[in-house]
Amino acid sequence: MADFVLTTRAPLIAGNKTPADVTRDICHSLEGRPTPLWWGSFLFAASLLLLGTLAVSYEIATGIGTWGVNRTVGWAVGITSFVFWIGIGHAGTLISAILFLLRQRWRTSVNRSAEAMTIFAVICAGIFPVIHLGRPWMAYWLFPYPNTRGSLWVNFRSPLVWDAFAISTYFTISLVFWLLGLIPDLATVRDRLRGGFRQRLASVMSLGWNGSFRTWHRYESVYLMLAGLATPLVLSVHTIVSWDFATGVIPGWHATIFPPYFVAGAIFSGVAMVLTLVIVARKTMHLEDYITLRHIDVMCKLLLLTSGIVGIAYVTEFFNALYSTNPYEEFAFLNRAFGPLGWAYAIMVSCNVLIPQLLWFRKVRRTLWIVFPISILINVGMWFERFVIIVTSLQRDFLPSSWAGYRPTPIELSMLLGSFGLFFTLFLLFCRLLPVVAMAEVKGVLHVGREPRGPDPERVMVGSSAQGRGMDAAGIREGGPE
Amino acid sequence: MGSEKPSRYWKSWEEGPGATGLVQISTSEFPEPLDRPAEQFNRRSFLKAAGFAAAVAAAGAGCSRAPVEKAIPYLIQPEEIVPGVSYFYASTCGGCATGCGVLVKNLDGRPIKLEGNPEHPLSRGGLCAVGQASLLALYDSQRLKAPQAKGRIASWQEVDEQIAAQLASIRTSGGAVRVLSGTISSPTLNAEIQKFLLQFRDARHVVYDGLSSSAILDAHQQTHGERLLPHYRFNRATVIVSFDADFLGTWISPVEFSRDFADGRRIDSRSPQMSYHAQLESRMSLTGSKADRRISVEPHELGEIMLRIGARLAQLAGSAFPIAARTQDNSYDTVIEDLARRLWESRGRSLVVCGSQDVRLQILGNFINDLLGNYGATLDIERPSQQRQGNDANLQSLLDDLDKGNVAALFLHGVNPAYDLPGGQALVQAIERTPLVVSFAERLDETSALAHFICPDHHPLESWSDAEPVRGTLGIFQPAIHPLGKTRPVLESLAIWRGQPRPAYDILRDHWRGSVFPQQTIEPDFQTFWDRSVEAGYSEIRLKTSKPPRFQAASLKPFSQSSPAAGELSLVLYPKISMLDGRHAENPWLQELPDPISKVTWDNYACLSPGTAQRLGLREGDVVRLEVDIDAVHSPPLELPVFIQPGQHDQVIAVALGYGRKSTERFANAGPKWLFGGSDVDEDGRIGKNTAPMLALVGGSLQYIRDNVRLSKIGKRHALASTQTHHSLTMPRELPIVGGEHRDIVRETTIAALLAGEKKTVPVSPATNGLWPADHRYTGHRWAMAIDLTACTGCSGCVIACQAENNIPVVGKDEVLRHREMHWMRIDRYYTGEQDVDVVYQPMLCQQCDNAPCETVCPVLATVHSAEGLNQQIYNRCVGTRYCANNCPYKTRRFNWFDYVRNDRLQNLVLNPDVTVRSRGVMEKCSFCVQRIEVARIESNRVGKPIADGQIQTACQQSCPSQAIVFGDLNDPNSRVAQMARDPRRFGVLEEFNFRPAVNYLTVVRNRDSHEENSKVNQNNG
Amino acid sequence: MSPGMSHRVIIGVFDDEAMLLEATREFRAKGLKIIDVFTPYAVHKLDSAMGLRPSRLPWICFFGGCAGGALILWFEFWATMVDWPLNIGGKPWNSLPAFVPAMFEVTVLCAGLATVFAFLVLARLRPGKRPRTWFPGVTDDRFVLVLEESDARFDLARVRSLFQSFGAVSIEERIEEA
Repeated sequence: MADFVLTTRAPLIAGNKTPADVTRDICHSLEGRPTPLWWGSFLFAASLLLLGTLAVSYEIATGIGTWGVNRTVGWAVGITSFVFWIGIGHAGTLISAILFLLRQRWRTSVNRSAEAMTIFAVICAGIFPVIHLGRPWMAYWLFPYPNTRGSLWVNFRSPLVWDAFAISTYFTISLVFWLLGLIPDLATVRDRLRGGFRQRLASVMSLGWNGSFRTWHRYESVYLMLAGLATPLVLSVHTIVSWDFATGVIPGWHATIFPPYFVAGAIFSGVAMVLTLVIVARKTMHLEDYITLRHIDVMCKLLLLTSGIVGIAYVTEFFNALYSTNPYEEFAFLNRAFGPLGWAYAIMVSCNVLIPQLLWFRKVRRTLWIVFPISILINVGMWFERFVIIVTSLQRDFLPSSWAGYRPTPIELSMLLGSFGLFFTLFLLFCRLLPVVAMAEVKGVLHVGREPRGPDPERVMVGSSAQGRGMDAAGIREGGPE
Repeated sequence: MGSEKPSRYWKSWEEGPGATGLVQISTSEFPEPLDRPAEQFNRRSFLKAAGFAAAVAAAGAGCSRAPVEKAIPYLIQPEEIVPGVSYFYASTCGGCATGCGVLVKNLDGRPIKLEGNPEHPLSRGGLCAVGQASLLALYDSQRLKAPQAKGRIASWQEVDEQIAAQLASIRTSGGAVRVLSGTISSPTLNAEIQKFLLQFRDARHVVYDGLSSSAILDAHQQTHGERLLPHYRFNRATVIVSFDADFLGTWISPVEFSRDFADGRRIDSRSPQMSYHAQLESRMSLTGSKADRRISVEPHELGEIMLRIGARLAQLAGSAFPIAARTQDNSYDTVIEDLARRLWESRGRSLVVCGSQDVRLQILGNFINDLLGNYGATLDIERPSQQRQGNDANLQSLLDDLDKGNVAALFLHGVNPAYDLPGGQALVQAIERTPLVVSFAERLDETSALAHFICPDHHPLESWSDAEPVRGTLGIFQPAIHPLGKTRPVLESLAIWRGQPRPAYDILRDHWRGSVFPQQTIEPDFQTFWDRSVEAGYSEIRLKTSKPPRFQAASLKPFSQSSPAAGELSLVLYPKISMLDGRHAENPWLQELPDPISKVTWDNYACLSPGTAQRLGLREGDVVRLEVDIDAVHSPPLELPVFIQPGQHDQVIAVALGYGRKSTERFANAGPKWLFGGSDVDEDGRIGKNTAPMLALVGGSLQYIRDNVRLSKIGKRHALASTQTHHSLTMPRELPIVGGEHRDIVRETTIAALLAGEKKTVPVSPATNGLWPADHRYTGHRWAMAIDLTACTGCSGCVIACQAENNIPVVGKDEVLRHREMHWMRIDRYYTGEQDVDVVYQPMLCQQCDNAPCETVCPVLATVHSAEGLNQQIYNRCVGTRYCANNCPYKTRRFNWFDYVRNDRLQNLVLNPDVTVRSRGVMEKCSFCVQRIEVARIESNRVGKPIADGQIQTACQQSCPSQAIVFGDLNDPNSRVAQMARDPRRFGVLEEFNFRPAVNYLTVVRNRDSHEENSKVNQNNG
Repeated sequence: MSPGMSHRVIIGVFDDEAMLLEATREFRAKGLKIIDVFTPYAVHKLDSAMGLRPSRLPWICFFGGCAGGALILWFEFWATMVDWPLNIGGKPWNSLPAFVPAMFEVTVLCAGLATVFAFLVLARLRPGKRPRTWFPGVTDDRFVLVLEESDARFDLARVRSLFQSFGAVSIEERIEEA
């Protein structure tokens, strides 16, 4: 991408940091007491989580009837939030894997938190399919395991089974990927801290890492391969999620453009979420030197791109419906835009297509107090996109006799809030327990775009070596790990 | 419900499951085949069943009166009773006075289902929603289980002593004794009442019906000199003109009429023929919705139009017509000319019925029918109907007597005057003033609460009795279960008070020996006659026909009708198909049954035409206050939510009777209760509002139409629990789809089009050769269904039949408001047209698609396809993703959102042991009554014969009064269903999507010249 | 390093990856035996400087994936067509397209897990293992080059001066008990 050139010009990391500075700056947040700000936000997040937990417990104890769903609209907030969180997760993998393969070195300062976000988002997402079941305690039946029922397996033709496979694989691979990336940094933490819980945690999780380059050498190829696996995986996951709907017969669901449409939407919402998080982290944890305005700027451009794709998808849907000359299909989309839930559609379009157009302006991309609200609005819009796809399609399908409305209950909404509570609780704990920036990676790109050290007058070979270094300055540690 | 394991239905059978074992043992174990109820009845086996029932009932009903010599407990298993095998007893339906024949399905000694008796001469296999639901009342834990004296539980002995004492004093003092009852079609009971009254000097039996037809009887009193109700024969009529008579819904004998009506309109597509039916009415009735021509008129115009039709016919007949019609308006000329012509052309094959309570109109109707020579053809007065005997004039005089305090003793049977008569507080006080009030009510209702003594009658399924709905056609009530409480048949109570105590069974037998047996000519000795009758559940006897009375022209006297000023509103009080006059208000099945027209459950409401609602700025759900002056006294105002009813006349407010009963307070806990759940009852703790105070008992007849209604908006809103929110197949105007404005879900055509051989153009024929290999060939059976939409009247009998058969829970008003009703079978109702609308009904149930979208998406294989084409739902595998319901194009799947209320142990005895009671969190849906298929399969294994066509009847099919539903094996080319599937009128809903539904619908046919005429009709009236 | 016997090593510590790179190249060119190099991050081109052969882990990844994919595909067919064939919405017995998603996911899963597991085994990494650190700060900002004083031809003085010429911040000798 364009940023490649750009990164070779100005330094990726501001403030002439040395590796030692990096270690100090990043580990700083792990040492000492949390700030009141952290405590405040943690308590807030935790209380949301508590609310959600109560709601879920009540729902499981009483029945899905405590939701607003009905005989016509069988899925609503629950599955909407599931798709939403899965989408959020995708940005993490995108940044850590896809940008890695694309040699986007600016990713190094954000990929750790982005991957953490993936893990937590997938956790949040994974909860909804379970609690939306009529009998959540039977959720394990979705996996094929030897049993005494005949033996009865699962329906491999059902997208929900594909989901079960996709989500669990996605979670496992992302988690492994993340932990792998953490090993060297944890070794740093281990060697730096004097005792304490974090130190013990680090010494267990760093698996006895001692910086041996023979290990580094294998580590690089493993990392490369995981990145290579995670890239098609992330695409497959949201493709499969989109098939939950695309393989259905319901007008508004039964659409072939869903996979690319959903994947783009996922990255769109995910990057927006990363922006929201890093803007906060940057301020609160004083990481301005590591997460520079360029990072913000680049991610804004990603938003602009994906917003465009999503916008085109919206138009294409309508065109397809019209072109199909299938009255049920046509109605589904007219109803989507102008029917009882037209307001949701309006929110979706304005938040996902109209507002992001502001990001065409460099000035806007580099003004945090504008980017921040935009990033949040985009996620609002993306939540409503899923809501619109699911609810408006079900609400009025083939037989007018069965058309019905839908109104969420407080229980459902508490669960949605609860999922955010869970997400931020985990994220805040992560900020306190683990290095939020991939130190080893950042150290590797410190001198990108910086003047190489001056040659030593006596030694000729050093000069030549300096040249050599200068030559490959652009491509330092191609495909290297942190 | 794997078809491969029939043995699972025999878990209780210690011989162990397995069809093979079944065949060996059953030959000795089964006394008689299941499908021949006639041979079923055998007094010993019944009484043994009863004995078992006593044990079962004891669980729910506590102590039960068990005559030792009759009942034996299950210490030794009687050889006739096989646990898990059901027996059918022929009996008569006690749901209303109509007296349809039923087969009581008994399983393990208790009735679990009522089926129509196919051999019964009147109902011929049909059974209405009320009849189906009357079973539930048997297991009503709030039924009185013992007599009450002065409001407290008493023993029969003390009750009898006290009553006897008071009666003795009355005998000496000669005070007036009155028996106030609803129509009693039981000759034995009528005779007993007469005997009982004979011992008093001033005694009378007064009869009234909550839904009165006394004007018809009074009219015949004048025109034929005999107070009778003709037996209408709709199947013999080729032209039917109904003036506000809802004969398919609630008028006199709907089941019989529906069958007759349908028989007159069955379409053989090769030579299409059907009767013509025109309906003139002010509100949208079930009957009107089936009419070929429906004309909505202001209630008072009815008489005017009848007059002019009468005059025109008299003119055609060249006979005198004494009444001058006011012909200032000619808005109906075309209609009148058309109807008169049609009637005249089919003299003797036409029928004019009138539902009005205005005797003058009824006389006019008789005149027209006589003029057309319909008496003796389509109206039978040789063997008149006895299903409505109410005499409102007598009622009026009784009420006056009560008011004056002239009545010494009042006996109430099967009526609830304190509730369903307009008298209000005055009447209540009058009853309270009466020295002796004895009620036979089964429950504590508005009236029995006032009585000094309550001597609760048996439930019809517990008692011996009889019925003579039509002269010469007698039905027998036989007990199907031992009485659950210490109740006592009225027959016995009266006999005891007469001082000649005898069991009801003996009284009944003796009456039959004495009065019925002599009239018949077939059977030589009484015992055989009696056994035959009890076996069959009915008996038809050849009456020596006396010459029927003739019409006396003199009775036709001039009259003129006052028609109200334009724009003035009149109130029409009508019975709902489920509630009737409110007699079954405590029945949750009926309360939750969507009204066929409005689709609203759990409520009554003020129906307004769209135009009027717009004019008054009212939206659906706005609460309005209705006030009527009753002889210059303000009636208590009635506050009701507005319901907008297309097809209703602009000057009419229609409100249903039968709501606001005290007994509906029990429904406060009808549905699941949870944190944010709403109430299942209104603010006053009841269901709906009582409209009886709006009735008027004037001019010797109960009037259901009131003028000068004042309507005012009071700014409150009241949500109506409707199961259908969009009422037409035309898409909303604000969402214009070019070419897709109308959905081809239901197909309609006209008889003319059929005659012209016009084929309804099928939009897209289902793909016959798809991409897939034909891996699933249905060799062997292939179950399918066919539904004739022309025959279907939307009466909803099937809905309740399905609910009873398949243990479908009641969910309560709040859940219905949340679109969570559980009915597996629903009747979709669609309107077409603008001002005067056409209505089509479409019974919608699981279509059992071959390419079922629901099956593909279920992750856990909880719904799969059987080798016989059934879409099976495996409850205990379902995890409840609801994906299948989302992906069902017909939205026929139902989800258990909660654990539904089943804490009434007595009520649970109604559950069908052959059908799983679904737990919370699983999906359910129509199974094509797979349990019945299995029973038939077991039977065919046993007798070693293949399953015959018609041997399996689904619950909905069995109870359908108009025989619209046919179930069978599509692979058998001669089966009825296969034949109907070959009918050119056949279509499948959404079949262009290649779902391959197994339910075949037959196009709606209307007796019209063309589609254009339809629109013409719409212009020139309204 | 043959276990049991003690041997002498010389440790050079750098603070700059470039110098380390050069030194490594130089020592290797001079045929000195490099025991290992320790760096805070993976220094690019150090592998070629040390003459490490490319890892064989990609093969494990490939075969792990193939095995998983083949297994699940066989299982899907067996479970759907052989073990308990059921008519699902009229779909043909062989619904291969519907079997692909699960197959793909399992392929990825097996490939990934196999690779990581193999890596941990080869690199002898395991939870709670005590690391063998040659020099403090190697996980912070220090680059450490460890040479073995193998044979008699080993000239300590020359090695030291070489280290200095590459700007090593400290040089020390140690006797290592393997």
